Amino acid sequence: MACSKAWTRHVDEKILTEHFGLANLYEIEAYLERGGYRAVTKALQEMTPDGIMDEVKKAGLRGRGGAGFPAGMKWSFVPKTSDKPKYLCVNADEGEPGTFKDRYILTHNPHLLIEGIIIASFSVGIHAAYVYIRGEYEAVAQRLEQALAQAAQKGYLGKSILETGFDLDVFVHRGAGAYICGEETALLESLEGKRGHPRLKPPFPATVGLFQCPTVINNVETLANIPAIIQKGAPWFLDKGLAKDGGTRIFGVSGPVVRPGIYELPVGTSLREIIYTHAGGLKPGKKLKAVIPGGMSAPILKADEIDIKMDFDSLAGVGSMLGSAAVIVIDEATPILDVLKKVAKFYAHESCGQCTPCRIGTSWIHKIIKRMSAGHGEKGDVDELVRLASNIKGKTLCPMGDAASLPVLSLAQKFKNELESCLKDGSG
Amino acid sequence: MESAGMKIVIDDRPVEVEEGTTILQAAKQAGLHIPHLCFHPAFVPEGSCRICLVEIEGLPKLELACATAVRDGMKISTQSPRVREARRGVLEFLMADHPLDCPICDKAGECKLQDYYQEYGLFEGAFKEAKEKRDKIIKIAEKLILDRERCILCTRCVRFLSEITKTQELGVFRRGIHSEISTYEDAPVQNNYSGNLVDLCPVGAITDTEFRFKTRTWFLAQSESICPLCSRGCNIYVDYHPGFTRIPGTAKIYRIRARENLEVNGRWICDFGRYGFPSLEKDRGDKILWKKEGRDTIMSWEKILSLLAEKLRPRHRTKNTSNIAVVANTWMTNEELFLFKKIFKDDLGLKKIFFADPRPGSGDGFLLQAERTPNARAAKEMGLELNPVNLDDLSKNTDVLIIFGPFLADLHDPSSLKNDLDKIRTKVLVSSHRSGLESYVDFILPASGILEKTGSLTNRDGLVQKFSAVCPPCGDSRPEWSVLIELAKELRINAGYYSRLTQPEVILKEMGKEIAFFR
Repeated sequence: MACSKAWTRHVDEKILTEHFGLANLYEIEAYLERGGYRAVTKALQEMTPDGIMDEVKKAGLRGRGGAGFPAGMKWSFVPKTSDKPKYLCVNADEGEPGTFKDRYILTHNPHLLIEGIIIASFSVGIHAAYVYIRGEYEAVAQRLEQALAQAAQKGYLGKSILETGFDLDVFVHRGAGAYICGEETALLESLEGKRGHPRLKPPFPATVGLFQCPTVINNVETLANIPAIIQKGAPWFLDKGLAKDGGTRIFGVSGPVVRPGIYELPVGTSLREIIYTHAGGLKPGKKLKAVIPGGMSAPILKADEIDIKMDFDSLAGVGSMLGSAAVIVIDEATPILDVLKKVAKFYAHESCGQCTPCRIGTSWIHKIIKRMSAGHGEKGDVDELVRLASNIKGKTLCPMGDAASLPVLSLAQKFKNELESCLKDGSG
Repeated sequence: MESAGMKIVIDDRPVEVEEGTTILQAAKQAGLHIPHLCFHPAFVPEGSCRICLVEIEGLPKLELACATAVRDGMKISTQSPRVREARRGVLEFLMADHPLDCPICDKAGECKLQDYYQEYGLFEGAFKEAKEKRDKIIKIAEKLILDRERCILCTRCVRFLSEITKTQELGVFRRGIHSEISTYEDAPVQNNYSGNLVDLCPVGAITDTEFRFKTRTWFLAQSESICPLCSRGCNIYVDYHPGFTRIPGTAKIYRIRARENLEVNGRWICDFGRYGFPSLEKDRGDKILWKKEGRDTIMSWEKILSLLAEKLRPRHRTKNTSNIAVVANTWMTNEELFLFKKIFKDDLGLKKIFFADPRPGSGDGFLLQAERTPNARAAKEMGLELNPVNLDDLSKNTDVLIIFGPFLADLHDPSSLKNDLDKIRTKVLVSSHRSGLESYVDFILPASGILEKTGSLTNRDGLVQKFSAVCPPCGDSRPEWSVLIELAKELRINAGYYSRLTQPEVILKEMGKEIAFFR
């Protein structure tokens, strides 16, 4: 793994990446030496399920997968009494372009996730958890399997964990490479062995989820925050971030910066600070043009818009989103048309094809951009892109329609002049 | 406790509906149509076509009419600018990926995409890119062709095969714009309900080899009828070419489709019924013939009926009817069976009454019944015993034989049939179809086919279903009820009674007075 020094460089107090520098943190012995599984012990032996849920609610932990839904609230939607089994699905399908944070957690600190899984399951009353991990992460999946085996061997998984009578089994399921399976209901379908098509909501997974049973679906990073909340308490966690958005985020910075990599920083750290202080600014000779602040589906920010706090609400306020906190830096030498082409190609390729606007709209947009890119752009093409993307946005079955249309809209609107300069002038 | 009514307003129309009603259903109750393609009332909503999006006051996003249950006080707009724009957008996307080969598409004229474009679209095409090329002639079943360019991926076909027949022969394969409907490897759609996929397909993606390129839908008259091919009594549409046919010599009935009747057949019919229609038009007898001394003589109805009456009347008068035998069948309508019973059993007092029906097949556990005749229940309810024909009993001491229907030919081998029938002096055949019996009889009276008649049938569950003639009678044929009434008049038995029975409806009413079951 490159940039290993970057992880420990700018630390006050970290939650997730604390001991990332250790070569063998993924081994349970090393993890235990660093105080591992104490949160599980505390949660299972000293706390009640409801007490844990309250603590997580108070901590203001918002989902790290992209939508930012409060995690404690999500757990509380699962019916307390149900004659069906309940399930936890861990979304490790990390497919949003630019995002590579979960991979680092899984590779370097898998036991942190396992602790989170155990505590969440105990709190909600779950006895089977599935980690849906993206197909490309083969080595990562193997490492997680190994960690799970070690945890089971030490008695943290399986029957009557820590002799509390609480049972939990964790299964690893590898995806087959479809972006859509990161959408929670498509993930459930895929996990059930079906085609990865998103489901209509309602019913929501909290009541009708995996195998028609109540299900919690949490992102890897979300769950990895749980042990610290249990150990150090909600106020401490909340204090790390903002009033309604507690803790830290792992910002994954990519692009022509001096030190690309992941940076665990408090929620609300400014985008400028992330790029210029932590990632070392742009490489010599490069000039900042724009930033995609939260994974490829987040609307783009221009160079003069980066003095913004990186939290869900602040970014929503400027019409973008924090998403998975993947910061994609774009320099002046990169034509926006190239960015647009990458974006359009990705979503056209990854649309599952279930609903009309996404299936045909993303392909249509991609065809126009390919034509523009081949030098056959015509007058009106940029407006047409905006019109088509607007006809996708908010009209699809799952959030992928927005994911596909928002970046196109923002690129076409914010860089209209540059894009139009690529078109044939005149009548076309 | 009464279920709480939900008071809602759709496009300024107040409606009160039951809890759990979807917006689409509520709109229908209010007399408003919300366009939909993937939604079908028989299946769980899928919400994938996105054309039914409507605006609900207070909600930021447009919502699906097909899958959203109404809440009390909801205010819904199906025509707001946002809704119209979204609908137009969906149509535009569908059209961009559609071959627009309506001039050669069998669905043209009854295609939902065409209808909705006409109603909500009428925009100029903005799609300047190359269309996707896809396979257009894929044989997915014995009689079904899939055209992937026309397909809009509503997945009604997939859901029919998974939710209704549970045979699951079709699925969606590949992804995004390359998504396509396909069979699994080369295993075809193979079940007795495959034809329903053609009715279900909202566009011309699944077409029927029996109908493909034969006519345009707008040349067809659509008539409601009852399928006669088994005792289920499925409700059907018969699509028929009125007037002259465009290609001389072709059949006039182009297709049979399912007609919704949740009590009887739901929304489906079986392939046995659907594809059985050519047999209804083939080998029809259309002339009144008297084989006088071995030579065919064409007769009029008046002549032949008076000739027959002359043969029967003396026997009736002398109460010597034991040498008359009749063979009926349960393809005859309620009214016809009733008249048959009145005349031959009650008035003439015949003892030799037999039935010759198509041989039973095997049922399929869903709609198709083993009993391959539409009206056996009625015969039983009238007190007619369905005695099968025993050739010895039939011919022994028999002078006059009247056979209704062609089915006797299928039940006995020709030589023994000829042998026994030769013993009878006067033989009359009243049949809609040629069957080979013609060569053994002296008088041939062409009967109208079941689709040319008006009347009623009683299905296996005892449901009496009326139907009207789909098309005019073939040639000189007449329905059996009319033949029976005319014969009764000629025989001058109970003249006042039969002359009142002028129409099947009147007969049914009379039946009701006499037989409680038909009340």
